[in-house]
Amino acid sequence: MLIYAKRVAAMLAVAGLFAGGTVATALAANHHRHHHHVSAIPQHNGGDHDSDNNGGPSDGDGNT
Amino acid sequence: MTTRRNALAIAFPLAFIALLTTVAVALAAGGGSGEKPHAARHPAAFAWLHPASVPAGWTTVRLPGSAARLSAPAGWKAAAGDPGTRTLVSRGPSGQIVGYLNATPRQGDENAADWAGFRVAHNRGEGDREVRRLASARHLHFRSATGSCVIDSYLTSSGNRYREIACLVAGRSSTTVIVAAAPPSRWHFEGPLLRRAVNTFRT
Repeated sequence: MLIYAKRVAAMLAVAGLFAGGTVATALAANHHRHHHHVSAIPQHNGGDHDSDNNGGPSDGDGNT
Repeated sequence: MTTRRNALAIAFPLAFIALLTTVAVALAAGGGSGEKPHAARHPAAFAWLHPASVPAGWTTVRLPGSAARLSAPAGWKAAAGDPGTRTLVSRGPSGQIVGYLNATPRQGDENAADWAGFRVAHNRGEGDREVRRLASARHLHFRSATGSCVIDSYLTSSGNRYREIACLVAGRSSTTVIVAAAPPSRWHFEGPLLRRAVNTFRT
């Protein structure tokens, strides 16, 4: 019975580690999804002088 | 038996916590961008999208070095924009933009599968607030091309509110973004013209 209990505990511990891996993967994916915000063109004429820098509609640029 | 009980008493709470953490993080990963992956997909919102020829009297501009052509109703004027792009606008009596069309070659990480999420995230990244994704769809037909589109609305940091149709359109030789926008208060009038302009777009 003791061996059985230890096996159950070990399996649950592995499940916990797997969950931790899922956490890291999900956070990394979320970080990647927001990465392209960094180089966004600011408004108020702070970027490349297209209309979206001056309160106009956002153009189709992809932040490169 | 006591040892077994002790082991299980520790293991089960740990497993439960791990399970809760996994569920919570999965939800956070899906909603962290403010977007629900399966929300706001209303292909019926694009039922109007049918490839069409350019109406007589419209203005057509061509993107440099590209097969992309953007058309707008008579009276719309070219506006300054990024190099390699074309913008046509209609202005109100006081000079405010009441209709806006822009075509820009694909520049960044945009792709058909994630276009809607990319676009609304991009608008937020430019400082827009109250960005709302209203509808999106993929595998839409354009003239000799296919595209992904999103309809969303936002408030610029300068306080101007717009509603837009933004599409990533992939043709044989080029992939281009077309943006058609107008203030929501003008959408009832400009919307049909913008939709027609999107229908005539080619790349």
